Order: sequence, then C-alpha cells, then structure tokens
Amino acid sequence: MEKQNRRIIHVLIFMSFLFLSIIVYLTYFEIFEKDSILTSSYNRRQWEKEDTTQRGSILDRNGTVLAYSKGTGSKQERVYPYGRLYSQVIGYNSRAYGKSQLEAKYNNELLNIWEFSPVTGLSNLLKGEQKTGNDLYLTLDHKLQKKAEELLGNKNGAIVVMRPKTGEVLAMVSKPDFDPSSAKLAQNWQEMVESADHPFLPRATQGLYAPGSTFKVLISAAALENGVGAGIYDDNGSIVINGMEISNYGKEAFGKIDMTGALAVSSNVVFSQIGVALGEKNIRDIAARAGMNRDIPFDINASSSRFPYKTMGKTDLAAVGIGQGRLQVTPLFMAMLASGIANDGVIMKPYMVERVVSPNDTVIRTAQPEVFSRLTSPEIAAQVNKMMQSVVETGTGKSAAIKGVKVAGKSGTAENELSGIQKNKEHAWFISFAPADDPKVAVAVVLEYGGSTGGKAAAPIAREIMRLSLSEG
Amino acid sequence: MKAVRRLRPVILIILVNIIGFGLLYFYKKPYDNYILLAGLAAIFLIGLGYSVIKFAKLGDGYLFLIAGMLSSMGIIMLYRLDRDLGFKQIVWFAAGIMLFLVSCLLFRRFRIWERLVYCYPLASLLLFAVTLFFGRSIKGAKNWIIIGQFSIQPSEVIKILFVFFVAAFFKLYEGKFSEAEVFRIGKLAVRPVHVLMAVSFLHLGFMVIQQEWGTALMIFLVYFMLFYVFVNDRLYLIINAVLASAGGLAGVFLVNHIKIRVDTWLDPWKDIAGTGYQITQSLFAIGAGGFFGTGLGLGRPDFIPEVETDFIFSAICEEMGIFGGVAVVLLYFILTYRGIKIALSIKDQFTKVLAFGITLVFGFQAFVIVGGVIKLIPLSGVTLPFISYGGSSLVVSFIALGILQAVSAGPSGKGET
Repeated sequence: MEKQNRRIIHVLIFMSFLFLSIIVYLTYFEIFEKDSILTSSYNRRQWEKEDTTQRGSILDRNGTVLAYSKGTGSKQERVYPYGRLYSQVIGYNSRAYGKSQLEAKYNNELLNIWEFSPVTGLSNLLKGEQKTGNDLYLTLDHKLQKKAEELLGNKNGAIVVMRPKTGEVLAMVSKPDFDPSSAKLAQNWQEMVESADHPFLPRATQGLYAPGSTFKVLISAAALENGVGAGIYDDNGSIVINGMEISNYGKEAFGKIDMTGALAVSSNVVFSQIGVALGEKNIRDIAARAGMNRDIPFDINASSSRFPYKTMGKTDLAAVGIGQGRLQVTPLFMAMLASGIANDGVIMKPYMVERVVSPNDTVIRTAQPEVFSRLTSPEIAAQVNKMMQSVVETGTGKSAAIKGVKVAGKSGTAENELSGIQKNKEHAWFISFAPADDPKVAVAVVLEYGGSTGGKAAAPIAREIMRLSLSEG
Repeated sequence: MKAVRRLRPVILIILVNIIGFGLLYFYKKPYDNYILLAGLAAIFLIGLGYSVIKFAKLGDGYLFLIAGMLSSMGIIMLYRLDRDLGFKQIVWFAAGIMLFLVSCLLFRRFRIWERLVYCYPLASLLLFAVTLFFGRSIKGAKNWIIIGQFSIQPSEVIKILFVFFVAAFFKLYEGKFSEAEVFRIGKLAVRPVHVLMAVSFLHLGFMVIQQEWGTALMIFLVYFMLFYVFVNDRLYLIINAVLASAGGLAGVFLVNHIKIRVDTWLDPWKDIAGTGYQITQSLFAIGAGGFFGTGLGLGRPDFIPEVETDFIFSAICEEMGIFGGVAVVLLYFILTYRGIKIALSIKDQFTKVLAFGITLVFGFQAFVIVGGVIKLIPLSGVTLPFISYGGSSLVVSFIALGILQAVSAGPSGKGET
C-alpha cells in the first residue's frame, strides 16, 4: 500500500508536468510565435478587421503619401503611388498573399487594433460608422529615396542613407524590387518566388555580403585602440601569411606607407598584417561592439551581421583584417558602422517609423533616438574620421569628393563565391558620411557582382546622395 | 461566517454564469430572453447537484464544483457559437447531473461491481461489435451507433469499462498477482499479468480499428500508469513500454493516417490549405486572443473547423484569452489532484484503482486534446471532458465523476456519518 501510494505520487508529479508544459507552451506561443503567424493570408481574421476599418496611410517625413487605401469595406484597395520604389520597405498588403515589411509589422497600428479597441470602438459600432486606422509617418525622404533608386538603376544592390546622430533612416533602396499592387502580385507571384534574382529578398536589411575593404574602418579603430600599426610598412604588392598569399587590388605595390596611407589606398598587404598583429581577442571585441552577431532592432526584419569564427588562425586574422574570409554584413549594418564613426563612436539604433498618428491627429507614438552600441571612444572615432577623409581626398574614394564639403569614406571591392571562378564579379562597396566635421548624413552603397571597384562604381552614387541630402539641409 | 466561507466556490461559479450569460444577452440584438433562462437553468442545476452532495454527505465537495465550472464555460461558449447547440448542451447537462447522482447512489448501494471482472471486457467487445456492424461513420471514422434520434459514441463508454475491468482484476488477484495462475495451456502457466496485457492491448486494438487514435493513446497512457503503480514487475513494465513504442513507431511509418498527423504536427504550414488547415486555424484563434482574449462574442472562433467539439479550447483561448485557457487547464489539474488525493486515502484495492483510473482518464483526455489543439503534441480527436459539445461525452463524464464521488464518500455504510 505504501509502495502504491508512493508511485501514485510519481504519477501525480508526471501529470503536473504535463499540465505545466501546456501552460508554458501557451505562454511561449503568445510571446514568441504568434506575431509571425497571425499575418498569414490564411488567417481570415485580419481581413475581418480590414473590412470594417479604413486602413491608415503611410507618409514620408514631409507628408508625401507613399501608400493609402481606396474604397471602403471589403472593396478596399491598397494603392502605392510610387509603385516599385518602396516595395522593399513598405512591402505589400494583399488578400491572396498576405502582408510584408511595414504593412505586416505595423498592421495593428494601421488598423487601430489594440487591447481596448473593442471598448473604444463601441461608440462607432453604435453609430454605424466605419472605423479608421492610424497613419504612419516615416523618417524616409521621398526625394532622396527616388534619387537613390535612380542612381542604382538596373543594377542589383542596396543603398541605405541615415542620420548618424539620431539613427533616422532617410532612404533605403533594394534592387531588384517588384510592383507591390495586388493585381501585379497575382500576375507575377510564381515567377518572382522562383526567380534566381530573389526579388522578395530586401537586400538593404537582409542581404548578406562580404564587407571587403570597408571593414578596414573597423580594423583601423581597433588598431588605434590597441596601439597596433603605428609604424611604417613596406608594401610590395603582396604578402604570404601562413602559406596564404594576399595581394593588393591589381597587385599594385605602394612602397613605404603608414596606416593612414594604407587605408587611403586600401592596402591589403598592410591591413592583413594589422589583423594578425591585433589578434583574435581584439578583433572579436570590436566586432561585438559594432553589433555583429547581434539582432538589430528595426521597424522591419533585419538580419544580424555575421562573425562566424569559433577560433581564428593567422590566415583567418589576415582575411578578417581586409574584410574577407567568412564575414557577412548587411548594407544597413555598414551604414550604421559609418554612422558610428561619424557620431563620435556611438552607433544609434536605426528607425524608420517616426510617429503613429490617429485619425483625429493625436500622436499615439513617437520614436525616440536610442543608443544601439558604443563602438569606440570619441578620440579614436575622430582619428578614424580623419583617416577616412584622406581616403576621399587622396585615395580610392576621390570620386566621392564634394566641392566645399569635407567627406569621409571608404571603398570596398569584395570577393565572393562568384568572383573566385569568374572575372568581374566582385561586390562594389562604398560607405561614407558628410560633412566630416559635423556629420549630417551617412551612406552605404553596395552593388552586387558589379565587377568594378567600390571607388569607381559605388563612390559616385554615394556622392550624389550626400550632395542632395546636404542641399536639402 | 463559516457557512459563507464554505459557499464561496459555488458563488464563484454562479458569478461566472451570470457574467457569461449576461454578456451574451447584451451582445446580440434583438435581446434573446432564452439566454437568461438558459443561464438560470445552468445555475439551478449546479446548485441542485451541489446541495444534494452536501446534504446527503456524499464526500468530496470540490469534484462536482470543478465539473460544474468546466461545464458552465462549455455551455456559455456553445451558446455563443450556436444557440441551438447551447440549448441542447444544457439538456445534456441536466441529464448528466441526474445520472451523476444516480450512478453515485447505485455504486454505493450495490457491492457487485468488483465481482463482474470479465463482464466489463465482454461488454466492451459487444459494444465494439455493434459499432463495427451497425455503426455509422461520422467524419470518416465508423465509431457511432444511432439509436432512434440519438447517436452514441461507444468509445466513450469503453474507456470507463476498461478502468472498471482493471480495478476488478487487481482486486481479484490482490496480494497474489505474480504467483497466481489464471489458467494453463499445457505446461505453460498463464499469469494475471499476461491476461491484463492481453485484454488491454485488445482494447487498444479496438480503438485502432475504429481509427480513434486519441482514445487509443489515452487508454494506453491510463493503462501504463495503472501498470506502473499496481504491478510490481518492472520487467513487464519495460516490455509494455517497448511493445507500445514499437507499435507507435510502426503506426507512424506504416499507417498513413498517423503519418499525416505527425507530419502536420511537425510542419502544419507546408500544406496549410489541406492537412494543416485545422491546426493552423486553431493557432490563429489562440494568437488572436492574446493574453486577455477578444472578449466574449467579439472574436471569430467560427473560423475554426469542429470548434464545438475537439477545438473548443481554441475558441475559449480566443475569446477569454490565454488566461482563460490557463484557467481551464488549472481546473483539470485541480480535478486530477482531488481525484488522486481520494485514491491515496483509500485502502480497498478495487475502489482505489477505480478512483485512480477515472482520474487518469479525465487528466489524460484533457491533456491529449488541449495539447493537440495548441500543437504541443500531434492532434488526435478526443473531446474535452465536460466542455465539448456532445451527449455521450458529457453524460459519460458525469457518470464517471459520480463513481469518483461515491468512492470519495468512503466505504458505504460507514461514510454517512
């Protein structure tokens, strides 16, 4: 009897565990899983609300309407006046294919759904009025967005423009893009889903590329912090580290140069040596402070940039020193890195939705600038800033120079899986900010498989964007 | 003062009913007076059952209240989904309470139950045969018998008969379970443990043939727990576990129905328009409710297929929130706890196994279906005891509860002091 009762208790414990697992799972589901599933087009509830609510509009920082709903009730149609231009930022809102990007993330705001909306909506229900959703005001600048899109043209790639001091995103373009209207989606869906160009991949936030020489900015900061790379190097055009040959672009030899000169001409010979001299700990440390391997909280999903090494040998250190190896970064991340140097070593959290405004013009929510990460000290940031200025003045970034404005920048020409087997397949990068002594705008440009150097192909694009942004003030 | 304190759980249930039916009354225009009537009826029935237990001193005071609370939530939800169903459910609820009291009294009045050892499996076999030959398929599985206007699901009865059999069987061989010989085939002695296993797996077989995977899983869990507690032979426990795992694995790989359910559980999004439709609709409902729910009548649980029976838990989560869902789970947990507490206090082997077995039936059945609709485990259709719509389910649950109630009152003759 004693034994039986003891075993009955065991069973009770087992059953408690079962019931507890239900409660834990429900809570887990509620907190972590439900947001990603509720926007499925098979969830008929979201259209239920859509039918009784006029979906809110989305506007740029100057009030230009970027998306609005036409018609009422179940006959509502989502209109995107600028077609493809915002497809990778605002996304789409389609009955057949669901929602994406801002349309998905801010669905509740656009439809004014919140915990107490049944109570506040009661008066509308009684009056029989159609409910109206909230409007989103973005930090994007339509003129700048349009310019960026034109500059990118028909090349695949991305452009991210930010305000370094606040983290506001001024423009964000990814190519290829697509027409987000429901009719066009239905027409092109199958083709786009299967396309090798992946038009549904928003390059700016989720495209992962090797950073190439733009990563030398980060390595320079680490070198200055740790007193590495202070001397004069002798650059013969190539160097062998642990049996791996590393050479400059076009095997050009730069002779005797210091680190500032090496950054300006983008010497792989020097920076691979600096990478080795810094060692694993210091590089890992600054990569973490830059926010690699970390989620970037943003208004749309952003991939985290990857620093995937478990342990690093000498060749790994040399490769990371020049931004190659297994490093992978997003254009958004590189724009944040440039912003961090520009903003005295402090990286601000990026944001794109400036405020949510209710139909009767009450501001429901306003975004506040927040610190994302402290990259380095103001002194080190100032030194790297100077070095980046000389890149534009005398080095590979000359085509980013603007008359009468101090510009800081860094080019990159990133090897990738295709450039190893085919010619002219490198990614062209350019990151920059201006004016260098009081930065107002930071830019990251990447051109996929462009086959040209960052300085030639990407820097002029960055220049035009900075010029337009500064002229607007 | 003391009386007030003792009444408190009852008052809570009455309050839940008043709020629930009150909200329903005001939500739908034109106001439907039947809703108020239904609410009053539910409150009256619970009060009636509770008074009888209290005045006749029929033992544990909580069992009935827990079941009453669960049934109330079920009736409110069903009324909100479909007025006619709600009304029918109240009729079944009334019948259930009557049968609860009758079974409680009958069980105490007669002492033959433990002597009917082999009658129980024979009755199950008969029910099974009748279903097989005269049964009607509803939703693909042939597991209903139609008598006149009523349709009965025999598996609901069979699971209780099974518990009765195991209890009577353990009583029969109490103290000599490992030595006794049931019969001999030549030189081979057939021990009680062999008979127990044979009969149990026969029951499992019934359920598998009828494609009642959920009930099969539940019967196995109950059987395995009873075996663990009351049979001292660990070797046979392991044999049971191995047999069941082998059977389960074979099922997953060979039986297409089971394979599909497991695949759907692992990734319902792959075939969202087909096999994954039910479970994803259920998840949408739970997600839409959030922690506090949309409020009664304000969600769209009607989008969920089979919402009145198997998926009623998802409807509760949508409109009463995760907190409402957790409350339901906790009610089942308390029910299990009370049942096990009763089983612990009994010395008589028959009633001890019976009380424990019935408690396990309630607990596992709740787990199997709630776990299924929230995608914690593969979905297998069983009803949620006391809440789901359905006469067989509700009435059988109340009969089983009546027996548990009778057992909790202690040995008859002595308990009524």
